[in-house]
Amino acid sequence: MTVAPDPAPVPGPVSSSGATPITIRGRSPWAAAWDSLRLMMRDSFALIGVVVLSVFVVLAVLAPWLAPYDPFQAMMTEAGRLNRLSPPTAANPFGTTGFGQDVLSQFLYGFRVALMVGLVAAVAVGFISTLFGVLSGYFGGLVDDVLMRITDVALSIPTLPFAIVAVALLGPSIENIILVITILFWRNGARIIRSAVLTEKERVYVKWARAAGASHFHIIMRHILPNVFRVVFLWITMSVAFAILTEASLSFLGLGDPKAISWGQMLNTAFSSGNLRTAWWWVVPPSVALVLLVSSLYLIGRAYEEQTNPRLRRR
Amino acid sequence: MRAYILRRLAQSVLVVWAVTTIMFFMFRVMPADPTAILLERGLTDEARQALLERWGLTGSLWDQYIAYLGNLLQGDFGASFFYRKPVWEVLFPLIVNTLWIAVPGLLLGAAIGAAIGTAVGWARRGGKLERSGIFLATVIRGVPNFVIGIALLTVFSSTLGWFPGFGMGDPGETTGFARYLTLDFLHHLTLPLVAVIIYFLPENLLLMRSGVVENRTEDYIELVRAKGVPQRRVAWHAARNSMLPLITWLFPALAETIAGIVVIEIVFSWPGVGRELVLAVTRQDYPLAQAAFFLLAVMIVLANLAADLVYGKLDPRVVYK
Repeated sequence: MTVAPDPAPVPGPVSSSGATPITIRGRSPWAAAWDSLRLMMRDSFALIGVVVLSVFVVLAVLAPWLAPYDPFQAMMTEAGRLNRLSPPTAANPFGTTGFGQDVLSQFLYGFRVALMVGLVAAVAVGFISTLFGVLSGYFGGLVDDVLMRITDVALSIPTLPFAIVAVALLGPSIENIILVITILFWRNGARIIRSAVLTEKERVYVKWARAAGASHFHIIMRHILPNVFRVVFLWITMSVAFAILTEASLSFLGLGDPKAISWGQMLNTAFSSGNLRTAWWWVVPPSVALVLLVSSLYLIGRAYEEQTNPRLRRR
Repeated sequence: MRAYILRRLAQSVLVVWAVTTIMFFMFRVMPADPTAILLERGLTDEARQALLERWGLTGSLWDQYIAYLGNLLQGDFGASFFYRKPVWEVLFPLIVNTLWIAVPGLLLGAAIGAAIGTAVGWARRGGKLERSGIFLATVIRGVPNFVIGIALLTVFSSTLGWFPGFGMGDPGETTGFARYLTLDFLHHLTLPLVAVIIYFLPENLLLMRSGVVENRTEDYIELVRAKGVPQRRVAWHAARNSMLPLITWLFPALAETIAGIVVIEIVFSWPGVGRELVLAVTRQDYPLAQAAFFLLAVMIVLANLAADLVYGKLDPRVVYK
């Protein structure tokens, strides 16, 4: 004789009666993301990073209004000659380049390129690696096997050489640089997030939720994702840094987008025209900005790293 | 253990094959047509055909692919468009040049980084030494390697004039290995080597520091301390156990160094594989670029394989399956 199961004691995700549903419902991913951000901000080094980053974002947004000239415009002296390699003056506060362009204007437009590369790479890399990491970690099986084989190969591809060859073949443009960066950096992220998901899905509360009849989608959104957010954030922060570094390196090697001025390109022109020593005003601003930007990201990343590794926390 | 090694070897061969295939199709399918650069205008049809055959660019893509794999297996990378000689002859001497800055740079960076990392990890949590150590290491880690290169070049070469900042020096009368033992060579080696060391030091420092922090609260450290061993020796115990991740990290790092050193080689005009890759790409010398890329990929695969095998030797807790 079979007894029809009584639906009442099974706390489904929709039911809101009793104490059990609270654990079953898990946390909203947004609340978890916010918590993660707040924890990170408690780290004073990370706070320095966030402040620098905010200043950079403001400068990037305001660049066209702050820049005194068009970054490609050649300055002329009163005698009508090209104003090459002029040290800082009132008209050109950061001096001029070897081609008579205003360094300050180029420098300000550089903020846009760097932050755009970083932002797009963060969204693309963050989305792709989270998607693949969660799918393969949670479902395992064929998805996982295929993904792991792909990353095995992808991890054996030397990063910068691949970027050099790919950008040279595709043609040096900002879109292609971002495409190549995305292809390069999703692989590590997917692997890292996958292993975080693997530990998370073995937790007792996930099994309970499963036994209680929660759907896969529900478990991923409310139990798995909120708990791997720190790892995801750590990875996104690092990929932004890597993306900016890769763009800068490519531009420094002469593979930058000729239509957009970036800091790497400014350094490339100063270096290849042999003006490194004399024209310090041309070299120092892009170098300092790159160091500040990448270091800030690393300072933020470090805070997440300490959080994700409980053995590193202060005791 | 033997089964594990065999499986890892087979896996490595597979990965090399996959990378080669991706690379082959990347070079052939991309918008840039390798034949367009090669074939100067005004060639007769016969001459054009002869040239294409000589560079292995005839037949369907599939035929070309099979022929390419066959040649690779025989160690034939083809001939450089630019130098008009076998790619292998161009690249072989450059590997040595790259290793000259990569290996000592990485080892010195790791050693100095580990020493400072131990001190920072052993320092009082939240103290001045710990905080400034972490802060400086993180900031220096964020300096792009070409900025390090430019700074060294400007200060020590163009301004102070202490070191040359260009190339490897004049080999003069010496040939073969003897040229690497001249003072002139070492003089030229200094700046690029220092650039690589500065590039690697912070990462090692932070890795070592994390290891020491994780180990310092372990029971065995308490035991050593309880035995009345001096502080310095206790720190050494923690350091020794923290070196494990550092050593495994060294192999892939070597592979990444050889790849990432491209930029430093360019800044100091050091004639290495990476610089040749950039030059080959800008000259559209595809066989050379392809071979340089292949070489770098194989180095990474080998380094990863070595890391997996060495890790098991060093850490008795690792079990091979």
